Amino acid sequence: MHLTLLASQFLIGLSVGMTLFVVAAGLTLIFGVLRVINFAHGSLYMLGAFLAYSVASFLGPAGFWPAMLIAPLVVALVSLGIERGLLRFIYDREHLIQILVTYGLVLVFSDLVQIVWGTGFKSLAPPPGLAGYVTVWGAALPRYNLFLFAVGILVAVGLALFLYRTRMGKICRATATDREMVDVLGVRSSRVFAAVFVLGGWLAGLGGALVAPTVSITPGMDVTIIIEAFLVVVIGGLGNVWGALVSSLILGAGESLGVLFLPRLAVAWPFFIAAVILIIKPSGLLKSVW
Amino acid sequence: MSGKRHFTILAGLVSLALVAALVAGCGRTPAAGTGKVLKVGIIDAYSGPASSYAKDALDGFKLGVNEVAANGGPKIDFVTRDDQFNAAKDLSWAKELVMQEHVDVVAGLMNSAGALAVASYADQQKVPFITWESMSAQITGSHGGKYVFAMPPNTTMIGNADAKEMAGLPYTRYWLAGDDYDYGHSVVNSFWAALQKDKPGVQKLGTSWWPVGETNYTPYLNVIRAAKPDVLFAGTGGADMVSFLKAVQASGLNKQMAVLDHTATDPSTLKALGADAPVGVYGTSDYLSYYPATNANKDFVAAFKKAYGHGPGFPALYGYLTARFLGAAVQKAGGVNKTKLAEALSGMTIDSPVGPVTIRAGDHQLETPMFFGRTAVQAGRTTLVMKNPVEIPAAQIMPSLASVLASRKK
Amino acid sequence: MVRPAGLFSSNAGVTAPGPYGGAWPSVGAGAVLLFLPAVLPDYYLYLMAGIFVAALLAVSLNFILGYGGLLQLSQATFYGAGGYAAALVLTRTGLPFWVVLPAGPLTAGVLALVTGWFCVRLRRLYFGMLTLALGQLVWALAGRWYAFTGGDNGISPIPLPGFLSSPRGGYYLALVVMLASLAVLYRLVRSPFGLTLQAIRDNPVRAAGVGIDVQKHQLTAFVVSGLFAGLAGVLHVVVAGSVDPSLLDWTKSAEVLIMLLLGGMATFIGPAVGAAILVLLSMVLGVYTGYWLLVLGLILVVLALFLPQGIVGFLEERLSEKNPADRAVR
Repeated sequence: MHLTLLASQFLIGLSVGMTLFVVAAGLTLIFGVLRVINFAHGSLYMLGAFLAYSVASFLGPAGFWPAMLIAPLVVALVSLGIERGLLRFIYDREHLIQILVTYGLVLVFSDLVQIVWGTGFKSLAPPPGLAGYVTVWGAALPRYNLFLFAVGILVAVGLALFLYRTRMGKICRATATDREMVDVLGVRSSRVFAAVFVLGGWLAGLGGALVAPTVSITPGMDVTIIIEAFLVVVIGGLGNVWGALVSSLILGAGESLGVLFLPRLAVAWPFFIAAVILIIKPSGLLKSVW
Repeated sequence: MSGKRHFTILAGLVSLALVAALVAGCGRTPAAGTGKVLKVGIIDAYSGPASSYAKDALDGFKLGVNEVAANGGPKIDFVTRDDQFNAAKDLSWAKELVMQEHVDVVAGLMNSAGALAVASYADQQKVPFITWESMSAQITGSHGGKYVFAMPPNTTMIGNADAKEMAGLPYTRYWLAGDDYDYGHSVVNSFWAALQKDKPGVQKLGTSWWPVGETNYTPYLNVIRAAKPDVLFAGTGGADMVSFLKAVQASGLNKQMAVLDHTATDPSTLKALGADAPVGVYGTSDYLSYYPATNANKDFVAAFKKAYGHGPGFPALYGYLTARFLGAAVQKAGGVNKTKLAEALSGMTIDSPVGPVTIRAGDHQLETPMFFGRTAVQAGRTTLVMKNPVEIPAAQIMPSLASVLASRKK
Repeated sequence: MVRPAGLFSSNAGVTAPGPYGGAWPSVGAGAVLLFLPAVLPDYYLYLMAGIFVAALLAVSLNFILGYGGLLQLSQATFYGAGGYAAALVLTRTGLPFWVVLPAGPLTAGVLALVTGWFCVRLRRLYFGMLTLALGQLVWALAGRWYAFTGGDNGISPIPLPGFLSSPRGGYYLALVVMLASLAVLYRLVRSPFGLTLQAIRDNPVRAAGVGIDVQKHQLTAFVVSGLFAGLAGVLHVVVAGSVDPSLLDWTKSAEVLIMLLLGGMATFIGPAVGAAILVLLSMVLGVYTGYWLLVLGLILVVLALFLPQGIVGFLEERLSEKNPADRAVR
């Protein structure tokens, strides 16, 4: 086996992981600050992909970039509706009740998407500049995958700036560590919760819109992503954004290398990696904020 | 014991629910089975990624039902049930349709695990069962029987068709890949078995299996590219085909090796991809709305477009043929007696958009042709088409009856 | 820590003995269920048998989740394991049915022992995710091992002994096994073991402090729960006559969780009622609308907002309010 194949396979895996990170980052942020187990995160991701498809096909050939901008914003708006209309009433309830509500939303969205967009196969072409591939170490890396990799890094940097450089971010981190203290200090945590949920929803919508040009946009996308995103969030350490980054990359690279060495087991690979990590590190890779 | 109150509540609630269900059941149309109206119970994946095929097939079936009635044939009633592509759900709906709705025929079924379970159940209950989407060869094979019928070409036929055409091309080094699902494995296995027979000396460089619903094929394609085969034969289907072809296009794989996949040339896939579809990919199709350019096919396409505003895909053809076969069977059997219907269907031939088609008497698999070609740009169209399709007659791809019946003996 | 009492601190668990009721209602309920086959058409017997199977599965999950306080997210793994074991024994050996019946729960129990051994070291959601990951590994194996499990095509048809092949036979077996299992689980919940388990759920640190081996108790509960889920899997084989990997999938586990929450976790029988409601809803609504998931989703949201204690939990509260003596006991 050539070393270059190993290297290129690893690189492809990292780009797969970066896409996963964009979705998982929003989920873990919501976990950390709101302590809500948001099953509907995958639905928001799916909604992002469908909306991107609609915007892009409405605007024609030049529609890709506006779609990347508009779709996540609409999803953020939907998230605001969900948070204000539903979730804020159940913050003090048991986690299982929160699971029930958000799982109910998953079912509702799965049918709604089908009612609105119908059943035909849908696809969105990447913009001309991002079509095709570049050759790295003998491997053909799709330009679009490299673009996803870059966006993943941007999201990570953006989140770091937000969490460590803005007032809101600092409040978020404080809320994640000690909610009572933040309340005592007179911060209106309700507003923080809404903001974080909207940010999380925006990230889910962004993930869906970004992935749209590489997949077939179908109902059922939600279920495919949500379990993997949950694995990422938990093995990274609940609520820890950097944990989510590390575990996304591990899962992405692990799956990619798994395809090379044990092609027969590709379907079981993410679960196997997650189980091994959890058995070795029972509370995730990095410190949980819980 | 203090649990008694619990059991009281349980009993009360269960009885209430039961009464509700009984009331709901009584409100429905009385059992058919004695009159002239044929009642068909349809189970299919009307939600989820596969719903596109399910809807297309149902549209074709409705068109056929109307055509049968318009030509003075019997009236066909039908009810539909959504299985969410869940096999356990398939069997419970089949039981509901047979025991509660008293349908004369069960049809539909894309999920192959569900189709197999329903085939066994229907055969045992002596209710004719026609699958119009599931391609598992086991339906008319190990699970076949007097009451079991299959419309689409099964995985063995697909493998045979692909092998027959590829044997004539100058390729020898193959990489085999597919969905890690019965469909993928069966198509790949039957293709490879047939190809080795048609062209001794072909070489298998390796295999890859990806999960159904895979969202990123790049890692797989990178490994395949590194092995430098002449041909990548892929057994992928449904909505995943769109993602797979996108990855082929994005990594330029179609320019480095021949890529062959059963539904790669299917219009529903190519339509979704638009200009983003890879050129020069080999594929087989069960049905093309633009070929053969016979009057029968043109009429069918025109009628379908008039009713639904878009062209028919392959599921529509098999839904349509199911209705046409059932109409003819009721006429031949002189009523809706289930056993007589099954006997009438066996060996029956009707004219169709793809020429005369026959339900083979020995195993109840439809003898239907397939079409082979490569994707190409056609002037004046926004989507790719299959260029210069080659029709492969059913006789050349049907598995031998002896081999099918041998699989039933196990 | 925000929730020092653990994830499920509001769970009441054991309810105090009810001062009213007597033996008659349950005898009456039992009699009704025994004689139903005389009047019900076959389809309803099949439907009822399906409810019994789901009820046992839901109560088995509540044993580990409601009483044990462990976030088991993969109960379907053991349900499927029991079902597959029964299906394989029935199709591949000529063994009589009384061997098949224990084969399912035994297989599920051993699988629960192996996975549980890893899981009980983890806490809360980490525990839940490990059960899920290991469960999905089992699912992947069952769906790929074509030579042994039939892969994703599953196993069908499964030959059943004559007395079980009719809807009536399936009904009676499911009824008897479910009632016997529920009685055993009920006794277990009230046994010293069950009470210790609930003490651990309510305050694991304190329980460990007074010398209770927390992990050993939790592992035992995990295995017991898996055993009964496996038994439900065997019943599924009898009632449905086929198995396939969707029995083991996480979406099946989610369905069981919904049953639990629909009926209410704080009562012993709540999950069984939730199971009955969900099975009936899916089969009745599905006849009338293709969008029944949408309806179910809305029901779940409304229920979680207004009836967080579940339907049976709500009914119990109402019954207690009407009866002051009962409230005093609670």
